[in-house]
Amino acid sequence: MIEALLNFSQSTGIYSLMNSPWGWPLAESIHFFGLCLLIGTVGLFDLRMMGFVREIPLAQLHALIPFGVLGYLLNVTTGTLFLSTAPDQYLYNPAVQSKFFFMLIAGINMLLFYGTTAAAVESVGVKNHTLLRAKIMAGISLACWCAVIICGRLITYYRPPYHWCLWC
Amino acid sequence: METLARLEETTLSIWLRESGPAFFGALTLHSLAMGFVVGINIAVALKLIGFVPRLEITAVARFFTFHWYGVAFIFISGIALLLAYPAKALTNPVFYFKLCALSIGLLISRHFQNKFAIQRKNTIDRRSIGLAYLCLALWIAVVTTGRFLAYTHTTLLASRFY
Repeated sequence: MIEALLNFSQSTGIYSLMNSPWGWPLAESIHFFGLCLLIGTVGLFDLRMMGFVREIPLAQLHALIPFGVLGYLLNVTTGTLFLSTAPDQYLYNPAVQSKFFFMLIAGINMLLFYGTTAAAVESVGVKNHTLLRAKIMAGISLACWCAVIICGRLITYYRPPYHWCLWC
Repeated sequence: METLARLEETTLSIWLRESGPAFFGALTLHSLAMGFVVGINIAVALKLIGFVPRLEITAVARFFTFHWYGVAFIFISGIALLLAYPAKALTNPVFYFKLCALSIGLLISRHFQNKFAIQRKNTIDRRSIGLAYLCLALWIAVVTTGRFLAYTHTTLLASRFY
């Protein structure tokens, strides 16, 4: 796995780009900007669903979601750059594993939301509360994205991971 | 440099630097708060530029109340990070650039909050659109310089010079 990722990185020029003087910090900046985009769109939608700032109809805030998807794509792209350039630093790092876990939960939560609750929530107007299950889903979503940011910080701060990993 | 060396030898600075949870807590809080503050500003700027016509500006600007809580956390955690490694930031010109971009960005946020959330003006004039572009550029600069701080410092600890 590590070799396959490194080969991919070297054959596509990603490795040279990321090891250039500004490649890594530039990719990190784009990665964090993508997260801000995600929090500023999906996060605001979640906050409104949880019952904050009820002056905004939910359908209006939903118009911001495509920018959250854009932020997510920026994160996946830059995340691939990090992972393929230094796979040994990431694949066995419990912070990365936890980050992927929370992303998976957020993804499942989103599929459940669009499959079961989105239609009922779409009509929620000004000053109205959403369904309890929508509030719970919004809480899970927001908590997962905050956990993703925390795990992202853990990756670079607590290295090597054996000082704190619970399952290593 | 001597002042910075003295500052980093205070009990608080040593604790912030050497206690794992204190430094990591400040770092995480800073990232989370930045995510919310930058995110809310991007959402407002996207609306003003015209990317989200369905969204009412007077409504989305109400999120600025949350935004200021985020700003408070940014300053608290930022001061903690600065106290932990004062020489690292204060001897780096990138830090001052970040501070300038952040200050101008916050002044624009205050202007938008006052105009759209408090006075509830619903019309978006050319000046607001121009400020929204500037706001977007400034927050990108804040995020980028924030990341580059970790790579551009020339001095980590001032005390090693004494």
